[in-house]
Amino acid sequence: MTLERSARDGEIEALVVDRYLESLLARTPRDPSDIPADLRATADALAALPRYHPSFRFVEALSARLAATASGTDIPADVLDFHAIALRSAGDPRAQVRPVVIGGVLTSAAISLAGAAFVAWRRGRPPADPMSRAVRAVSRARLV
Amino acid sequence: MEAGRARPTPFDLDRSLVEAARADPARFDALYRKYVAQVYSFAVYELGDHHEAEDATERTFLSALSALPRFEERAGDDDGSGASTFRIWLFRIARNVIAERRRRTRRRPEAPLDLAFATPDPLDIEATVVDRESASSAWAAVDRLTGDRRRAVILRFVHEMSTAEIAAVLDRSEGAVRVLIHRGLRSAARDLARRGEGRA
Repeated sequence: MTLERSARDGEIEALVVDRYLESLLARTPRDPSDIPADLRATADALAALPRYHPSFRFVEALSARLAATASGTDIPADVLDFHAIALRSAGDPRAQVRPVVIGGVLTSAAISLAGAAFVAWRRGRPPADPMSRAVRAVSRARLV
Repeated sequence: MEAGRARPTPFDLDRSLVEAARADPARFDALYRKYVAQVYSFAVYELGDHHEAEDATERTFLSALSALPRFEERAGDDDGSGASTFRIWLFRIARNVIAERRRRTRRRPEAPLDLAFATPDPLDIEATVVDRESASSAWAAVDRLTGDRRRAVILRFVHEMSTAEIAAVLDRSEGAVRVLIHRGLRSAARDLARRGEGRA
């Protein structure tokens, strides 16, 4: 009898936690006062775990192999011998809050090829105001 | 409606892509591109190695392509069990492929996050990178969970699957999956607290 009640209590608690997780993962967390603080903190940490993305080279090579298989002309497996490359996945709005790891390389929403290009452009562009020119001149002098 | 007879699910967003791929296998590519990252990420968390994950991803999609004619979209029972969409079916294949590889290799070289952090990132901007130590602890806590408890937590938190989807992938009832996740969360919380990482 006691065991039955205990199991049922566990299921109810699991249901309450599940509802909280549903709201947390939907980015609209509801009032968490009925969730133990340690579970909330752990849920927050787990919700921030990164997703992993294969390298584009792997994606394209496997795509070619699937196409060959579909058409009945398979290609050798060693074509699928890859090395990781660092690029950013795009198009997933959840990438705004969750880091993405591509082929073993950690990226985030603000780190991208476009971001790198922007930084390079900013560094190569002549500064507009005198103070920035002075700072850059000092910086260059230190490097030399 | 006949009891036990499969009913078409009204919610499988991939139905048109599946039908197109059945009619012309070359059009499987659309399904592949939609799900390759999800399958790969699931494999990385389960296998802890990017190369193993690539192999598992490859085998999953080759199996899915050859088995696609046998895929059957199904609505679940009233409790949600037994449902099958393309995504659920694909993850069931991935789960089996990964389980086979885990049995064979019995080796967990490194935590995936450790692998990721070992790669120098020239664009490592302080304000935008994840708190590595915290994420690494969270991953380690998940990795110490056993079997389906770990899989359920990964599918819930990383892939944001619903409880019903996870139940279908793992061949469990929704209630059982909720309990798995709840217990997994409690174990992870204890683990993080022991390691001084708990914030409570």
